[in-house]
Amino acid sequence: MIDRRTLALLVTLCLGQVLLISAQVQSQGGVPLLQVAAFDAFARVQRVTTAITDAVTGVWSGYFGLRGVARENAALRQQLLDMAVELQQQRAISSQVRSLEELLGLKAAVPVETVAARVIAGNITPGTLTVAIDRGTDDGLAPDMAVIGAEGVIGRVINPVAPHAATVQLLIDANAAAAIVFERSQTGAIAVGGQSDGTLRAEFVPVLADIEPGELVTTSGQDRVFPPGFPVGTVESISGAGTPNRTIRIRPAADFSHLDVVLVVLTPPPPLPAATEAR
Amino acid sequence: MKFTSVLVTVVVGVLLQVALARFTVGGTWVFDLVLVAVVFAGLQWGPTAGMIGGTLGGLLQDLLSGTIAGVSGLAKTLVGFVAGLIGTQFVLTRAHGRSIIVAGCSIVHRVLMLALTGLIEQHWPGTTWGAMLAETIVNTAAGFVLFQLVATVPGLVARQRLGRRAGFGRRQW
Repeated sequence: MIDRRTLALLVTLCLGQVLLISAQVQSQGGVPLLQVAAFDAFARVQRVTTAITDAVTGVWSGYFGLRGVARENAALRQQLLDMAVELQQQRAISSQVRSLEELLGLKAAVPVETVAARVIAGNITPGTLTVAIDRGTDDGLAPDMAVIGAEGVIGRVINPVAPHAATVQLLIDANAAAAIVFERSQTGAIAVGGQSDGTLRAEFVPVLADIEPGELVTTSGQDRVFPPGFPVGTVESISGAGTPNRTIRIRPAADFSHLDVVLVVLTPPPPLPAATEAR
Repeated sequence: MKFTSVLVTVVVGVLLQVALARFTVGGTWVFDLVLVAVVFAGLQWGPTAGMIGGTLGGLLQDLLSGTIAGVSGLAKTLVGFVAGLIGTQFVLTRAHGRSIIVAGCSIVHRVLMLALTGLIEQHWPGTTWGAMLAETIVNTAAGFVLFQLVATVPGLVARQRLGRRAGFGRRQW
């Protein structure tokens, strides 16, 4: 039925891969050099395929998909007007906060330095929620740097990071987590991904903490990855309220299905206060 | 020649996977076009081609996604070999017959991946039957399109060539 050579090849290939897996599991690490080399080589190809798909979608949206542009234009004008009003309000609040900070002698918040990156590829292994971006170590990127989008937190940079490309683990991935704070109640918790409906689950929330649906959730900066104050999402639902098994679902602020341009935060979060670190 | 064909098939599968997966990030539709390419290689060129395609495609997937190298490689090697074995034991010429093999291989591959990940991480990774079903459906549809193209395109090209030659002949006489 099957010749010996084929069987021998099958056994060799399977054994080789089992040994490769065991070596990585024992050393608690991957095969960084090989991974970075393969990732870097493929990132160049990915950039070309992205350029081709973008050109095709660009032609489609630029020439064929122009229906409803006037309506969209009017809506955008309205949105711009609303945002201008909101900006003025924010400026007023900001100047108030600054003067209060001066009064209290507080240190001004350190502005974060970011670099813009384009998403060039999706998750190659189904079930792993990662994307590849077109910035790497040559642009100052390193593992554990926060990645944010226009709406909120996207994820963090993970290995492999090549000279011109990097992998970003999305916040909704099963192995992703972020330290969060519920804005209204100022309760700290951990948001973890891996939910089948694309939401995040809040863990380590004190039983007596008063959390309400619709409450804004931001990063707390306690994880030393995400800078504090960036929106993570809003509380979508709370089940089992009043019991120790209370489950809080957070709808992420970022739309992970339309990732195009993201910002990588190059500035590390400010050090934690000594009291918090000692605890 | 056969190795080059297998390599090209797998690389095209990987390229399509990364290019199309960009538009489905965070969505409910999950697919594995590398697996479709591996099953195609197995059915088209036999068990050896299937397992070599599986090893190459799986290892490439592992290296690019930053996960433990060899997990997807091992699962795809076995699936490619089984697909090749089925291809040699049964006469499967129609696209729908071959796409049923893709469906079966998708389920076996997912179960193998879950089992291997569970063994390594010492806990059963969470998965939903809905996600597995969606992946199987998309993979099967992609396989059907691929097998249909492979079955019809060479015939269409040959017919066009013949038609052109016949037309040229009529003009001459």
